[in-house]
Amino acid sequence: MITSFAVWLETTSVSHAITSHSWIWPTCETLHFIGLALLFGNVGILDLRLLGALKRLPVAPLNRLVRWGVLGFVINLLTGVVFFVGAPTQYVANIAFALKLIFMLLAAVNLAVFYVSGAARTVIRLGPGDDAPALAKIIAATSLFLWVGVMFWGRMLPFIGNAF
Amino acid sequence: MAFLAWLSGSPLGEWVSGSTWAYPGLLFLHTLGLGILVGLNSAVGLRLLGFAPQIPVADMEPLFPYMWAGFWVNAFSGAVLFVADAPKKAANPSFIVKLVLIAAAVVVMRTLRRDAFPRSGVALPRARLLAAASLALWAGAITAGRLMAYTTALR
Repeated sequence: MITSFAVWLETTSVSHAITSHSWIWPTCETLHFIGLALLFGNVGILDLRLLGALKRLPVAPLNRLVRWGVLGFVINLLTGVVFFVGAPTQYVANIAFALKLIFMLLAAVNLAVFYVSGAARTVIRLGPGDDAPALAKIIAATSLFLWVGVMFWGRMLPFIGNAF
Repeated sequence: MAFLAWLSGSPLGEWVSGSTWAYPGLLFLHTLGLGILVGLNSAVGLRLLGFAPQIPVADMEPLFPYMWAGFWVNAFSGAVLFVADAPKKAANPSFIVKLVLIAAAVVVMRTLRRDAFPRSGVALPRARLLAAASLALWAGAITAGRLMAYTTALR
């Protein structure tokens, strides 16, 4: 079913428009890498702080940087949708793409655990030099692992699957 | 240019282009290094430009060793990727632009560290300008790097 959806999507005019303008794909790729850096750096800085590196940093004001990480995520979601709509059939049967989505889903679950468990409320009170609780450290390490994984599977799209 | 051809024909060059995993693995490392270097640099740059004003600037200096780690991961992975395809890459205008932007970004990064984190503890006014320049230069280097796949040799 997903394959027939992809085949149909590829016949639509919006899909054609994406692949027929030669500047769209490279522009979106460039934005996708800039978004990647914004996301990884500005979320990674919070993860590093919780793990005990950069311990002099108070945690609460890092929130402002995390917003830029969210911006990076939104940029990558939008440009990712452009790639998918432009060439859907190269992604739907691609194991690297499936794993990339699974890792993103796990990152969302990890984020939900961060808030639901109360870890987010605990760490916001951490001042310079304070150690984060074990649960927050596990969540931070998981976040780094999952985002590195998302990058890894994304990079493998042309090699394990056959996406361009 | 015989040297460039020799590079790509060297055992290292043959290994990268011949092995199933070397090329994708190096590309992944190159992406990871980019994420660390440009990502953390964006955090420092945004702070210096006045976003997240409550973060004490001085406490961000320990990020620099991480940024340099990302830089060296990319210098090495990039050098090996270059070896595999030396004649083509050396003739690619986007590659030349990318190297120039990286060289400028490295100079700015070193100057920024000195000016934003002086012994006095107070960032110099020009640190803001350097922060803006470093954001632009790294974004430019990413753009030129991406466009390498779309531009070919000038004849």
